[in-house]
Amino acid sequence: MTNSDHTSKIVIVPCSGIGKTYGTVSREAAYNVTEDLRPEDTRLVALSKLVLGDEEARSIIEGNPAITIDGCKLACATKMVQENGGRIAQDYAVLDVYRRYKQFKPLGIAELNEGGVQLAQALANEITQVVDELISGMGGEDNG
Amino acid sequence: MTDFLEFTIDKFTFRTATDRFYDDMGLWVKPENNHIRIGISDYLQQRSGDVAFMEVKPVGTGVAFGDELAVIETIKVNISLTSPVTGRVIEVNPAMGTSPEAINQDPYGAGWLVVIEAAEWATDLKHLLEPQVYFTKIKLEADQEVKKE
Repeated sequence: MTNSDHTSKIVIVPCSGIGKTYGTVSREAAYNVTEDLRPEDTRLVALSKLVLGDEEARSIIEGNPAITIDGCKLACATKMVQENGGRIAQDYAVLDVYRRYKQFKPLGIAELNEGGVQLAQALANEITQVVDELISGMGGEDNG
Repeated sequence: MTDFLEFTIDKFTFRTATDRFYDDMGLWVKPENNHIRIGISDYLQQRSGDVAFMEVKPVGTGVAFGDELAVIETIKVNISLTSPVTGRVIEVNPAMGTSPEAINQDPYGAGWLVVIEAAEWATDLKHLLEPQVYFTKIKLEADQEVKKE
């Protein structure tokens, strides 16, 4: 990872649902943002760490704005960030994203079909825009 | 006010409205004067999962009993819903195009699908189930699935 001028990073918290297509889309989108599109401005926090009460994960959540990606209406990612004192800058539900990109029908679990990959990419692109806006806002605050 | 029959399995509670009929698939059928309002039962919507898209035959379409009336795409399955009555579609719930999640949120109310002007209601009624019969059917089905697990 390269160094960044930003002291704060945007935290991405995807669904942890294993064995669910929409959960997989949420994680693929999160990996895409944190590893490829905006690695210097974001970091991924595994939902399971929040569920288990991991102190480091909790500390990261408390100190940085979060973008949550939920795979179903239980909205575990959003709820766990809130319960751990996090500030949610933007929350996404994969089903709502799919409704915006009907042409990308996700299938598969361990390995997404082409539609799922494209849906994850579309979601990652949307998240990247939000990240850029948040980082821009942070810079404005820093500059007073 | 609508009354419900209900049963609970694990964390899921399934409700059956008592003021309407049902078909085998799980569509509810509610006579309103000369028209028939149709929707999806709570059991069917919970079994099918969150609705992504719903495509319903447009107003003016003639349907016979058993013809495809709508196609529902959920996070789990795609289902072709067949018409439980013969007649003509005279109204489609506009929410189906913009916010089909109404089916999940309020299956017996805001989540209705279509209104049909029935042509052979007396005949269609013979195919439909009274709410208590439908309730018994789905409860048995759910109980059997639990036993398999």
